[in-house]
Amino acid sequence: MPNLKDLKTRIASVKSTRKITSAMKMVAASKLRRAQELAESSRVYSESLGFILSSLAGGSKDNSDLPEILVGRQNPKVALLVINSSDRGLCGGFNSSLFRSAVNWIKEKKSHGIEVKLMPIGKKASAFYKRSDIEVLENFEDLNTNDRQIEVSEQVKNKITDLFESKSIDEVFILYNKFISAIAQEPTYKSLIPLEQAAGDDNASEGSNSSFEFEPDKNELLEYLIPRNFLTQVYGSILESSAAEHAARMTSMDNATRNAGDMIEGLTMTYNRTRQAVITKELIEIISGAEAV
Amino acid sequence: MIELKVVSPQKVIFQKEVEMAVLPGAEGDFAAMQDHSPFISSLRPGQMAIMSNNKADESFFISGGLVMLKGKVCEVLVDQIEPLKDLNKDNYKQTKTYQDLEGNETALKTFEQVINTPSYK
Repeated sequence: MPNLKDLKTRIASVKSTRKITSAMKMVAASKLRRAQELAESSRVYSESLGFILSSLAGGSKDNSDLPEILVGRQNPKVALLVINSSDRGLCGGFNSSLFRSAVNWIKEKKSHGIEVKLMPIGKKASAFYKRSDIEVLENFEDLNTNDRQIEVSEQVKNKITDLFESKSIDEVFILYNKFISAIAQEPTYKSLIPLEQAAGDDNASEGSNSSFEFEPDKNELLEYLIPRNFLTQVYGSILESSAAEHAARMTSMDNATRNAGDMIEGLTMTYNRTRQAVITKELIEIISGAEAV
Repeated sequence: MIELKVVSPQKVIFQKEVEMAVLPGAEGDFAAMQDHSPFISSLRPGQMAIMSNNKADESFFISGGLVMLKGKVCEVLVDQIEPLKDLNKDNYKQTKTYQDLEGNETALKTFEQVINTPSYK
């Protein structure tokens, strides 16, 4: 028979855990609202920038006159993957599904003879890859504590540009959890170098390109645009990932709260049964003691 | 009337119909009005003004960016923007924009210039 006192402490501890998870859920929900707003409002800028960039780049028939940093190098040898993870845990499968997808992606790249190097953002990713044999070029941590997203995006952009120009990398991809809804996130890849052209966008931009006038000329504009585009893309993925993180935490903490509730119910039932059994036992003892006299 | 849409990397600053907007293009100021030919330009630091009847209804300092004119829409992608409405010689240095631009001498100088001698009033 389970000990009554043990059961009582058990129930108390599950109850306090439930309090914590339900508080975390509420915090995540309010943070999610803010993060989602940020992610959505920053999308306007990046979409317009993407449109301008593709009208600039889409005009020329062959890619030879466009800068390498836009169209990528022939026969890439080294690819850089920027992984957007979270700084904290307790957010369900948020990080693990990201890493699972990354492992497959890296395998796939390797099978094409491309070496992969990493640039993890967030503590979870750097911890995950610390012990692997994949080369980690730089870590970025603690983004959300001081609203350092812009600052970090800037650093990532500079690092990418330097590495590409010094020819240590030939391709750049970003991996992040895309925020689909409060209950769904999906690991998503975005190609920075070569620049990803939105599907179906080609025709539209070629059509409109001929009519656009550019000032200053195309190449100068591209020089200004490309770093700006990197910055926006990295920043956008960080915001998207943080919205997804809060969403993941909210759902997983909601589940945890519910599970704790079920557990308390079960434990209370056992506790009551045990208590009843103890009383019955005592009564039997008293009665049989009285009969003996 | 032309639809002026001003967007920063963080959010849409505003979006409204205006008669004319003057923008500091990389190769000189230009005015965006209805039926302007399709046009993409980068922006230098300077004053952006929303005009009607040759008077600036609203004025902003922008630290640079891009503009795309297409049909009835003028889309301005700015890096940093500060409305000039309540700013004068004494308080413009306290704005967040000014502090964020620290180290960018050209932009700061232009900001000062825009405050002291705005091109459009």
